[in-house]
Amino acid sequence: MPERKFTPFNFIALIAGLLFAVFPILWMVSTSFKLRSEWVTSPPTWVSSAPTVDNYLTILAPQVLLERRGGTKQVGDENFGGSKDDAAGGAIADLLNRSAWPGIKGSIIISLSATILSIVVGLMAAISISRYRFGGNFTPFFILAGRMFPPIAIAIPFVIMFGPKVFDITDTYFGLIVAYAAVTVPFSTWMLKSFVDDLPHEIEEAAMMDGYSRWRAHFTVTVPLIKGGIIATTLFIFILNWSEFLFALILTYTDVQTIPVTLSKYFSATEGTLYGVQAALAMVSIVPLVIVGFFIQKHLVRGLTLGAIKR
Amino acid sequence: MVTNTSKGGVSTIGMGKPRRFDPNDKKYIPALLITPVQILLCVMLIFPFILEFVISLTEWQPIYGDFWTAFGSVFTQKINQGINYNYLVTEEPRYLQALGRTVIMSVISLCLEFLIGLGLASLFLKKFWGKRIWFTALLTPMMIMPVVVGYTWFMLFQYNGPINQIFGWIAFSPVNLQWLNDGTLAFIAVIVTEVWHWTPLFFLIMLSGLNAVPENPIRAATVLGASNFKIFWTIILPNMRAVIIIAFVIRGMEVVKLFDEIYLLTRGGPGTSTETISLYLYKLAFEDFRLAYAGSAAFIVLVITVVLINMMLKPIRYQLVEGR
Repeated sequence: MPERKFTPFNFIALIAGLLFAVFPILWMVSTSFKLRSEWVTSPPTWVSSAPTVDNYLTILAPQVLLERRGGTKQVGDENFGGSKDDAAGGAIADLLNRSAWPGIKGSIIISLSATILSIVVGLMAAISISRYRFGGNFTPFFILAGRMFPPIAIAIPFVIMFGPKVFDITDTYFGLIVAYAAVTVPFSTWMLKSFVDDLPHEIEEAAMMDGYSRWRAHFTVTVPLIKGGIIATTLFIFILNWSEFLFALILTYTDVQTIPVTLSKYFSATEGTLYGVQAALAMVSIVPLVIVGFFIQKHLVRGLTLGAIKR
Repeated sequence: MVTNTSKGGVSTIGMGKPRRFDPNDKKYIPALLITPVQILLCVMLIFPFILEFVISLTEWQPIYGDFWTAFGSVFTQKINQGINYNYLVTEEPRYLQALGRTVIMSVISLCLEFLIGLGLASLFLKKFWGKRIWFTALLTPMMIMPVVVGYTWFMLFQYNGPINQIFGWIAFSPVNLQWLNDGTLAFIAVIVTEVWHWTPLFFLIMLSGLNAVPENPIRAATVLGASNFKIFWTIILPNMRAVIIIAFVIRGMEVVKLFDEIYLLTRGGPGTSTETISLYLYKLAFEDFRLAYAGSAAFIVLVITVVLINMMLKPIRYQLVEGR
């Protein structure tokens, strides 16, 4: 398209768009460093007067806060470091309950395993669909059905299926891994299919001429050549798995936790919403996503449009 | 291949070794490759789908014992002849309202996302300072997980939050809008959140569409003195038709499932004013534990979405399968 001039009006529009996009994120960053007394004020506090990392300590290292308070003493006792500005607040037992490590551990285990499962299964399906057109048009769209179903509609039978006397995998890592893989496999299949499509099949044919079996041609010639695509897909699927909320909310109780569920449960009966602590956990949880996201920026559109738009 | 059907058993001579399963046979490879995904989807999608249909025919609730007794009762007693379905459609206005609300919410937010995305994308065709940084900054919302998005906007929409303060600055008087406690405002809040979250995707798709519009017709039109609007309407838009359809279909598929953000933002409230179909199903199944009703409601939703999405996919089916 021919180059046009960047007018002042354009400039204003761009600034408005940027502010809209970035402001909520900056607000969250700011909140995560606020003192307890600044979480809810009127008018709102934009930037903390004395930035603190207590919110992060609450979720990542509650022992530090405990020691600062002198071990067994309760908050509110003005003699001890945090006093009313202590981000953690509440009773000591509460404080220890707010550690995010079970959630972080669960999220890492489940997202990684589900991503690997989804990619392996998806890659095989992608080769089958792209190289052999297996099942014509039906198979790819059958696989896509996994993305069409609203997850909540599938979650209702899941509760029964995962429950006792059927598969009995409620509140286990395995259950969530399989559930996550099932809802991300359409994305991985379609995205990988678009990468396999991009690679000319003549390369495999040449390998087969040289005496490679079909299996070897697929997995030792094609797969290394689309390495970049596989990495991008893996990261993309990881983002999806890491963000998944509904299944974890419904299919876990106590043994297994994921970050989104932990995040949604930071309410306290006596103190209401724990804004600062939630913001700190939100920051911790989106940092990997944003890094990964920037890394695969140019593949994001391909992933989210199921490979229909390639750039 | 010579078969055994000919008379006298003569043909066995030509058979060589007996036929046996050979994983290297070209015939079996695609089927073997696709088996894992089919198993996964059959167990995790088709089986639940059937199970859901079965539940929807019973009056089962978790307190009645485990599901297999209920499952058995489908065969031993009379099936309840779709009472659940009848009830939902005739006596439960919340269900149809939730369906309608989902559609309205989806259409409004998709249109807004499209317009803002297209506007921003057309800016990025021009040259200006720091383009790459601003581009990346604009994409950030898309990478944040829905729960965090819901939570962040929950903070911003508090009555003593920054949004009211900013509006107060503009209006030169304190603004105290109860964003999350007023039906209409909560509805707007949900749409704003959704638009914030997914406009970047529209922006990306539109940018790739705009970049693919051929230059020469536009040059020719400019030389002939066509107005900018005319160029946009008669050259750019028709050229972007496929891309726009893809964007709407793909986002449409996702937006009807909207759950996480609303769950954190309003939980469907106040009342039922932001209750989308996902929220309604969630409440029915996991707060009221009326799993049989929820099953039938969800079954209707599944059928509607699959039919609708297949209709929407039709125009881009070729593009999706062939991958251009």
